[in-house]
Amino acid sequence: MREILLYRGCTTPVRLPAYELATMNVLKELGVKAIPMKDVTCCGAQFVESLSPDAFAVIGGRILALAEDEEMDILTLCGACSGSLKITKHNLDNDPGLRRKVNDTLAEEGLKYTGKTRVLHLLQILAQEIGYDEIERHIVRPYNGLKIAAHYGCHVTRPFEIVQVDDPENPTIIDRLAEIAGAEAVDYPGKTRCCGGPMLAMDTTVATKIGQEKIFNVGLVGANVILTACEFCDLQLTQCQFDEAIKPSKRIPVMPITQFLGAAMGIDEERLGFEMNRISPDSVLEALQEGR
Amino acid sequence: MTEKVHVPTSSFAEELAAIPGGEVVNKCIQCGICTASCAVARYTDEYRPRQLIQKILLGEREEVLKSRLPWLCMTCRLCEERCQEGVSPAEVFHAVRILAAREGYVPPEFRRVMDSLLNNGWLLADSYTDFEEEEREDMGLDPDLGWNDKFLKRIKDLLPIAEGEK
Ligand code: SF4
Ligand code: SF4
Repeated sequence: MREILLYRGCTTPVRLPAYELATMNVLKELGVKAIPMKDVTCCGAQFVESLSPDAFAVIGGRILALAEDEEMDILTLCGACSGSLKITKHNLDNDPGLRRKVNDTLAEEGLKYTGKTRVLHLLQILAQEIGYDEIERHIVRPYNGLKIAAHYGCHVTRPFEIVQVDDPENPTIIDRLAEIAGAEAVDYPGKTRCCGGPMLAMDTTVATKIGQEKIFNVGLVGANVILTACEFCDLQLTQCQFDEAIKPSKRIPVMPITQFLGAAMGIDEERLGFEMNRISPDSVLEALQEGR
Repeated sequence: MTEKVHVPTSSFAEELAAIPGGEVVNKCIQCGICTASCAVARYTDEYRPRQLIQKILLGEREEVLKSRLPWLCMTCRLCEERCQEGVSPAEVFHAVRILAAREGYVPPEFRRVMDSLLNNGWLLADSYTDFEEEEREDMGLDPDLGWNDKFLKRIKDLLPIAEGEK
């Protein structure tokens, strides 16, 4: 079985462990073993990134060097982690001076960055490494009559020159994966807009309004579920619905793409962590058909 | 040659241009597409990326460096995708933050997060209680997350924030 190192990031293991669980189990079914990385630090996104380019480079450089040491690629679940590690890799690969500085610091731990390790976001593993055909072969209980709205996550797809995941203005990976699983993917206004998550650090009221605009737009086109590929987006798009502006009966289930795919692949619900979803996924799971 | 639209009162834009990402600021033609595509601008009264870039071009150095506004950018890069002139407001404000941090202007929200990050090596150490550990165990996930809490302390001199109380 192919192996890849899973860089879990700070948020997923604490606030959305179901994403970690579902991803590991879905990938295993698809022939990829994801091994959680240990002895790592936060990737530095947003906070260290905003304060010091040198600190940011050395923090990301260390994570990449640890993976090089294991001779494995890195899988990320979070848009921010994915973005920071890819940007750091890009900077280190293109700036020999920066790489020298980083390696001086890493040498104290016997580590070295050379650029061998690739950083792949979950959507890349699914669409490019495993491939749509292979995933389709594993769908045993396709959804029937279900409309999905894909939310890609800004840092997953932008800037394209560096992250190389999907067309940033017209991304399609989540939509295609959902269609393979039998659902109908619908477009909605503001599909490529931000969930508001990064604003939580500075102003939660504004963050909530930005998230709710998305929920409103998704509701307009009648989607039954929002599919995500980043725990930050997932948590934010869920959280913003627990607010008096949205009636409990109007809440739209939100779930990571791997939970959604896993169910259609016939993986047990508890191995996908569904009991942890804050907005009940029942209406989505009821659309699964038996056998194919 | 294009006509010079801005008459700067300081060399602020040049200073920013020396920071990676900041060099594009001079290409801005003040069309306002960034503000029109920005979600933060839609829900706040004060945040307007075009206007903030104008202040930079006009050389309002102190005002911009001390302002909270550059820290409100979500770096969602939608504006960058849309800007016809190849300017990335996200990158420009990132360069502003780095310069501001060097001079000690870091919003308290960022400062607090940085303190915890330096101590623990990751962001959610304080939220990871027995409850979450048990939850992970019940799901069959390893409760030991194995974060490294030493490395960030070792490199903290690289961070302007670590220098002193401001
Ligand atoms: S940054 Fe780009 S989009 Fe914004 S005002 Fe300047 S030229 Fe227009
Ligand atoms: S990157 Fe910043 S300025 Fe640009 S649209 Fe997003 S939040 Fe607004």
